[in-house]
Amino acid sequence: MTPSGTPSGTPFSGVGVGLRRPHLAQVAALKASPVPFWEIAPENVVGQGGTRHRQVMQILERDPVLTHGLSMSMGGFDAWERDVLDNLRGFLKATQSPWHSEHLCWSSFGGANTHELLPMPFTREAVQHSILRTRQLQAELPVPFLFENVSYYAELGAAEMSEKQFLAEVLEGADCGWLLDINNVYVNSRNHSFDAKEWLEGMPLHRVQQLHIAGHAWFEEDQLVIDTHGAPVIDPVIELMQWVLPRIGRAVPVLLERDNDIPALEELLAERAALQKAYDVALDPLSVSGPGSGGSSRG
Amino acid sequence: MVEPAERTSALQGCLADLLLDQDGHSLFGADPAAFGAARQLHMEDQAALAHYKSRLLTYRSLVRSALEDPLPDCFPFTHALLEKAGQWAACVDAFLGSRSIQSSYYRDVNPAFVAWLAQSGWGQDRWPFLLQLAHYEYIEVEILRWPDEAPQVDLGALPKADLYVVFDGTVRNLAYAYAVQDASGGNPEPDAGETYLLAYRDGAGDFQASTLSPHASAFLARCLEGERVGEAARALGLPLEDGLELLWSLHAKGAVLGFR
Ligand SMILES: [Fe+2]
Repeated sequence: MTPSGTPSGTPFSGVGVGLRRPHLAQVAALKASPVPFWEIAPENVVGQGGTRHRQVMQILERDPVLTHGLSMSMGGFDAWERDVLDNLRGFLKATQSPWHSEHLCWSSFGGANTHELLPMPFTREAVQHSILRTRQLQAELPVPFLFENVSYYAELGAAEMSEKQFLAEVLEGADCGWLLDINNVYVNSRNHSFDAKEWLEGMPLHRVQQLHIAGHAWFEEDQLVIDTHGAPVIDPVIELMQWVLPRIGRAVPVLLERDNDIPALEELLAERAALQKAYDVALDPLSVSGPGSGGSSRG
Repeated sequence: MVEPAERTSALQGCLADLLLDQDGHSLFGADPAAFGAARQLHMEDQAALAHYKSRLLTYRSLVRSALEDPLPDCFPFTHALLEKAGQWAACVDAFLGSRSIQSSYYRDVNPAFVAWLAQSGWGQDRWPFLLQLAHYEYIEVEILRWPDEAPQVDLGALPKADLYVVFDGTVRNLAYAYAVQDASGGNPEPDAGETYLLAYRDGAGDFQASTLSPHASAFLARCLEGERVGEAARALGLPLEDGLELLWSLHAKGAVLGFR
């Protein structure tokens, strides 16, 4: 079953790549898209001009794109500016992105923006607040809204529930789709000592419409795995993607995120190709030993 | 009716103080629970702050490192100057502490930095040119990204006394008390001296800045305000020929779209 408000049968599948500034000129000059789709942050494009902007627009006109926002402070309290919402709506219509995603976190408070993905308290009150904000944003958007699970390094305040329960309750309460960031699950499992597969097993995987996958780094001085998006994806995260895909039971699109130490386009495309292979193997019914392609998730 | 999420709000406000306030690190580091108590957090939430002390402080570093790339990208010479003086981190700290970053667009961090320098005067006792240097550095970024305009129709290519000038939307007629355009990574301190520049994006999409005489700058200012070419020249006692020649050359460079 597809949750209400999320599309089914979109043409997006396979492994896409986040479109980044250093690659724009090269990608724009290509005859055809080198990836099944790109992902782009609308707020980095709207209201801009000049050479790079022209390159972005050329690429968006030619290639399929998914949109992913970084700035709505979904779990926060600050009101969304009218022109920000108007610009976002216009961009979503122009690009025909099938959905739009944001992180389930907060970034700004009292008008001051930290531009950091900050953790929500895992409380009943914060569940209700997140549901309210998700519904408010959904009502403003012309396409279904998905939220993304974030990497969190600390609990904010005394938790009344687990992160897993928190996410599941917001997903159900807001009745929205899920952008499952598989690397964030892995990073959290390392930092908070839980088993990533066990964590995923009880989750509402039927709500997943897209995956994120990325690299991270271990910081010795902080004794923390930080979600840097600054390195290639490691094998355990690829394996986790392969484990979850058949359990989702649909060929949902996977997006490779790279935001720091961005390599040459060729290198990134080679990483994408390797991930695509792993994706195809995971979704090949003959090679799946899990629940098969029946379409429903476990648990 | 939804209950106001007071506990959530108090927790977020507390973390925002830890991340942004200049004394956030020392106060929170000394006693996280007291930090929470001062912000009316529940007892159990105070205890959670203490439990996650070092990891919450990591968030403070993350907020700072998120500015490490964009700010020096936009302000390379300001950054070089302050880094060399060992003041860059203090500058970023004071900037964050002012809570001047308000827009949800990441790119707006750059103009917010310039506006904060102007409003706070930070560092300008020691480096009186700091604001002007940062302003000029930001102008380049702003011009390179300035929204494209629909092409203008029915414009003449030759300037005449009774015509108005149509400038490219990226044109900025700038006046500084320092030779900001001569700053470099090796020598980020510009010399004092009245400096007039016309900055714009050329047809190839590149940033350009032409040095102007004070007269030429005043003349272009009048043209930008909507005076006819002849009126602007007359008001300044400038030979019309000089004005026409300047406009003709700016048209060739792409700063002037044409004349109407
Ligand atoms: Fe992600």
